[in-house]
Amino acid sequence: MRLLLIEDDDILGEGLRDYLRAEGHGVDWCRRLADTAAYRGEPYDGLLVDWQLPDGSGLDWLREQRHRGDTTPALMLTARDRLSDRIQGLDSGADDYLVKPFAPEELAARLRAITRRVSGGTAARRRFGEVEIDLAARSASVGGVPADLTAREWAVLEALVLRAGRIVTKPDLEKLVLGFESELASNALEVHVSALRRKLGRELIDTVRGLGYRVGVGQ
Amino acid sequence: MTLPAIGRRLARSLLGWSLVWSLAVAAAVWLAAKDEAVELLDDTLMSSAEVLASLMVDLPAAVAAPSARMTVVTDHGSGRFAWQVVGPQGQLLARSSLAPVQPWLQQQPGFGDVGPWRLYALALGAGGRVLYVGQTFEERYEAQADIALSAALAALALGLLGHVWLRARVNHELAPLNRLSQRLSGYDPLAAGASLGAAEREELLPVQAAIDELARRLARRVAHERAFTAHAAHALRTPLAGIDAQLAVALREAPATLQPRLQRVRDAAGRLQRVVAALLALFRSGVELQPQPVDLGTLLARLPADGLQVEVPAGATLVADPDLLTAALVNLLDNAVRHGAHRVRVSLPRPGQVRLDDDGPGVPAERRLALQQALDAQAYEGRMGLGLMLADMVARSHGGRLLLLPTATGFAAELHLTP
Repeated sequence: MRLLLIEDDDILGEGLRDYLRAEGHGVDWCRRLADTAAYRGEPYDGLLVDWQLPDGSGLDWLREQRHRGDTTPALMLTARDRLSDRIQGLDSGADDYLVKPFAPEELAARLRAITRRVSGGTAARRRFGEVEIDLAARSASVGGVPADLTAREWAVLEALVLRAGRIVTKPDLEKLVLGFESELASNALEVHVSALRRKLGRELIDTVRGLGYRVGVGQ
Repeated sequence: MTLPAIGRRLARSLLGWSLVWSLAVAAAVWLAAKDEAVELLDDTLMSSAEVLASLMVDLPAAVAAPSARMTVVTDHGSGRFAWQVVGPQGQLLARSSLAPVQPWLQQQPGFGDVGPWRLYALALGAGGRVLYVGQTFEERYEAQADIALSAALAALALGLLGHVWLRARVNHELAPLNRLSQRLSGYDPLAAGASLGAAEREELLPVQAAIDELARRLARRVAHERAFTAHAAHALRTPLAGIDAQLAVALREAPATLQPRLQRVRDAAGRLQRVVAALLALFRSGVELQPQPVDLGTLLARLPADGLQVEVPAGATLVADPDLLTAALVNLLDNAVRHGAHRVRVSLPRPGQVRLDDDGPGVPAERRLALQQALDAQAYEGRMGLGLMLADMVARSHGGRLLLLPTATGFAAELHLTP
């Protein structure tokens, strides 16, 4: 998944960015709301927003995004734990609310849950022909036999499965998997898609020539 | 312990004063009436003698002859007077039945005292006879005592009536104090626009002013604590989350030899997080208690168990503040783990009560009783760990308390979350 993290605390921000990247997500990290302007229009799978930021309220920022029609799943990260705060946070457009301190494992699990909800249902398991993908367990199997995927391969697969039936362009897929800051060899994406086809079968991922990739058509 | 009551003390004082007052009135009447009574009785004695003498002068034959037999006249009157007629030689010529048989002898006519008698002597005609009319001193004292007693009884009755009246009056005057107590019991100085209302008596003005000042100080202090909690929450929670995130990354990247050590650091950071969360929750306990139905199974499933097996009956729910209950349960479970328990059975013996039984070594009965005493007295300092103290504070913020129960094995604690 490609995620936008807005968190002013260096230790937490860096820790979350590195943890989520190690989980195979592409993470862009902003310390201030003003920095998010550079990422406007990027195709994110999830927003991780701190409530209190040096240049404003993350909640107001999120409300503004919703007002603009941005429906990207959002998770509020905050030290405010009162019931009224949680209600206000959820009412302002957050899909979930996580009170600090939290374990990054829980953050990752909640992210998966809200993106599943948004991408069409709460089921963590998706089946495409012989291929079964468990978004919660982050695993895939072909005819019941588990496939051994690397973190990057999983990230590519997850980005496509969460947009099943839709074409994902190559630049978008690069951004979704690797984030804005990461450098990637020009053919890296093809290498990962090729590896996925080898491990999960050629039929799972279609190449729409000149446009990008797609899963979940005719399966 | 029964405290002195203003009403009772005033009533007792008045009763004492009524008795002293009636005695004082009796004594004063006695002294004032004594001379007047003597004078009045003497006048009556003299008048009686003069009336009797005039009757006897009109009937001289009855007592005329000195040789005649002594006449005794039976007294049918009130018995307050007696009389004698004594001849020139001192011989008793006649007497009333109440008079003594010995003649009263007095040198001078007029008043005189002989033995127990007060006498009035009057010459009876020219024959040398003397008429004595007497009245016993006992009779005279009795008359004076009657006057004094009547006065004393009247004063006592007035005193008792005053006692009853004053008691009712005191109760009436103390009623505003009772109403102030009732208003105080429902008074929340932190509520918006909280006021005790106008004082009903001038004497209550300083009391209400002192209470209002106390409430203002309390509200200021709570406001400071709230501000501090909000600040502390942010200041503590964010770095704690950062530490955990960094440790999670370090655990992924560190070589296998460092993993156990890093895991222990992460466990300690986790405990620190739970304690901080519990302390922050307690900072606002009692001020913002938010009770709601809580599913124990769901709540406990979210808590870190650190290898502890926690058993909860399905569908166990109770009404409590979920954050505070979480703080209490986290700390009780943490206690169980640290004292060597592997399994904790959670149950709801009665509505509003949560019981935890663990399979650890438990504590000796004396230690358990000492802990319970410290909990009951809220004397936590140095007597127990943070876990029991937090659990008790959470229970108390709900109006209940923490009980440590006797059990054959392990350790059993019961959180009472209702008064």
